[in-house]
Amino acid sequence: MLRWPELQESFRIATSSLRVNLLRSILTTAGVVVGVVLVVLMGWTINGLDAVWEQTISIIGKDMMYIDKWNWAGGGNWRKMEARSNITLDQALQLQQRMESAEDIIPLIRKWGGSVSLGNTSIRCSVTGTTAAYGNTAAGTAAAGRFFNGVEEHSADKVVVIGYNVNKNLFPTSSAVGQSIKIAGIPYRVVGVIEKRGFLFMDFVDNEVFIPLHAFRGAYGFVGRSFSVGIKTGSERLLDIVRDEATGHMRSIRNVSPLDDSDFSINEMKAFDQQAKNIRVGIWVVGMGLTILAFIVGSIGIMNIMYVSVTERTKEIGVRKAIGARRSSILLQFLIESALLCVTGAVIAFPIAQVLVGSARFLAVSVFELEWASVVSPLIPLDLLGIAVGVSILVGLLAGLLPAIKASALDPVEALRAE
Amino acid sequence: MSQPIIEIANLVKRYEMGDEEVFALQGVTLTIGRNEYVALMGPSGSGKSTLMNMLGCLDTPTSGSYLFTGENVSDMDDDDLAEIRNREIGFVFQTFNLLPRATALQNVELPLVYAGMAKDQRMQRATEALKRVGLADRMDHKPNELSGGQRQRVAIARALVTSPSIILADEPTGNLDSKTGQDIMRLFGELWRGGNTVILVTHEEDVARHARRIIRLRDGRIESDEVNPHAPLA
Ligand SMILES: Nc1ncnc2c1ncn2[C@@H]1O[C@H](COP(=O)(O)OP(=O)(O)OP(=O)(O)O)[C@@H](O)[C@H]1O
Ligand SMILES: [Mg+2]
Repeated sequence: MLRWPELQESFRIATSSLRVNLLRSILTTAGVVVGVVLVVLMGWTINGLDAVWEQTISIIGKDMMYIDKWNWAGGGNWRKMEARSNITLDQALQLQQRMESAEDIIPLIRKWGGSVSLGNTSIRCSVTGTTAAYGNTAAGTAAAGRFFNGVEEHSADKVVVIGYNVNKNLFPTSSAVGQSIKIAGIPYRVVGVIEKRGFLFMDFVDNEVFIPLHAFRGAYGFVGRSFSVGIKTGSERLLDIVRDEATGHMRSIRNVSPLDDSDFSINEMKAFDQQAKNIRVGIWVVGMGLTILAFIVGSIGIMNIMYVSVTERTKEIGVRKAIGARRSSILLQFLIESALLCVTGAVIAFPIAQVLVGSARFLAVSVFELEWASVVSPLIPLDLLGIAVGVSILVGLLAGLLPAIKASALDPVEALRAE
Repeated sequence: MSQPIIEIANLVKRYEMGDEEVFALQGVTLTIGRNEYVALMGPSGSGKSTLMNMLGCLDTPTSGSYLFTGENVSDMDDDDLAEIRNREIGFVFQTFNLLPRATALQNVELPLVYAGMAKDQRMQRATEALKRVGLADRMDHKPNELSGGQRQRVAIARALVTSPSIILADEPTGNLDSKTGQDIMRLFGELWRGGNTVILVTHEEDVARHARRIIRLRDGRIESDEVNPHAPLA
């Protein structure tokens, strides 16, 4: 049976003994401090990654899917995919005719190792041929100027829309819109700059320029390349319906027999979720390992100091027992003291973790100019603080258990004889 | 004799020191009634403290029986014993044994904490007890801010505060000068006259003279048990 006055008394004793041995208490909690800092940093990093990831896929388009020869996620049989026949513009256009559930069908054709130049500067990027409809997707949203329109798509005028990184490298100070750059030796007029889309490991998606399909055919030709068919569903909820419809049409367009597997892949942003998940798990495993190590070291320190405390206060324990403290009263007293010691560690750890988190973000954003870092919160989330306090209480209770049992089992006569 | 509080029969306490056996008590039989005032005397090592610890339910005998207010103490577990100590017994020690970081008031409150009493009531009872021992003006002092005599008064207030059936004191004046010792003995006398049962251990005949009954131990046995002819009248 737990009695409220005993509980209050235990807290009173615990706080006063922490205060009396302030320096010793603080030093003892070092391991717990490190553990809590690590827990908080790990949680914050994972939260931050999630935020960055969310930003990336929402900018590239959660409502998009792409029919490709290749599976983006790298799954499936590579040789088998290589043996697939290329997706042609004609197939893409047929699909466009048949699809009813989608908002837009956008053929895309890409040259990966292309380059663009301005004067003597030349940078490598991928060159993509597409239609004006790409400008309606989240990934085609222009930060400056606009995407090329239907008239420009079919005119003999050479126009280009450049990706964020291309713009940053070629036009670091001036505005790109209206300027002329060269692709495969031919001048193009820049009509727009795409907003930043790729964060973190998706940065490459901003190394891209977009030109109309016929211009692409002129520059690189369609032969030997497989089209990618972008499908804008208009809403995440429609992904399943659109996928089913597109699969059916595409199989028929490409004459896949009902018994065979499809000879194309349907890619969605979700495909990258696995990659994000792996990174998350990696951080979690490393973080957890370090955290557990710190807590083990910490709890050994706490246990040790609690044994010292029990020895130092043997006489006090004897007195308390003589005047009526039960085993459970003494047990509670030392468990609370040990838990409070750990919570003290957690309280010391919070400002340290906050300073680390704050400086990490400041360094990333302001010194290293990592734009993606700006979507990460500069503050430790409250639920993490709650978890950290909970964990440290648990560690405190565990570390204090043996010393507390020892204290509670002391023989009162022996204890009173102690000096 | 008045109604017995303590009835012990053939109480034996044996300590094992390696191969050697030490019999601290070798068959003590004794009855103590309500509102008695008993002094336990005897040479050093005769078993006075051992008997005291037994009577106070701090220690359990190797053999023999102990009835405390009619209940068999030998059958009880640790927590039952703790509860008896809390409710029925007030200890006063030679070295005071106050908690150094707690004020006089907090020290006196402590038994009531373990009795599960609420704060207001505790304060009230502890304040009364401190008034009874004449320390109303020292309640917020820590032990190291008090004289030896004052510390022992705080300890007595702590022993009193639960209104126990008996007060046990093991050489309560042993660490005090004779003048202060006499003050403390006067206090025990008052408690006894107020209806308390008092049992104390002492070496000094001067101190024992205050008691109504003197029991002498030697080698773990009762040597004599008689009414004190010099006892002051009640
Ligand atoms: N824990 C113990 N282990 C072994 N022997 C003990 C223990 N406690 C007491 N004894 C022995 O029991 C005997 C009685 O001890 P006790 O402390 O009761 O004597 P006492 O009458 O109180 O003496 P004093 O006047 O010196 O306080 C002594 O011989 C002592 O050595
Ligand atoms: Mg003794």
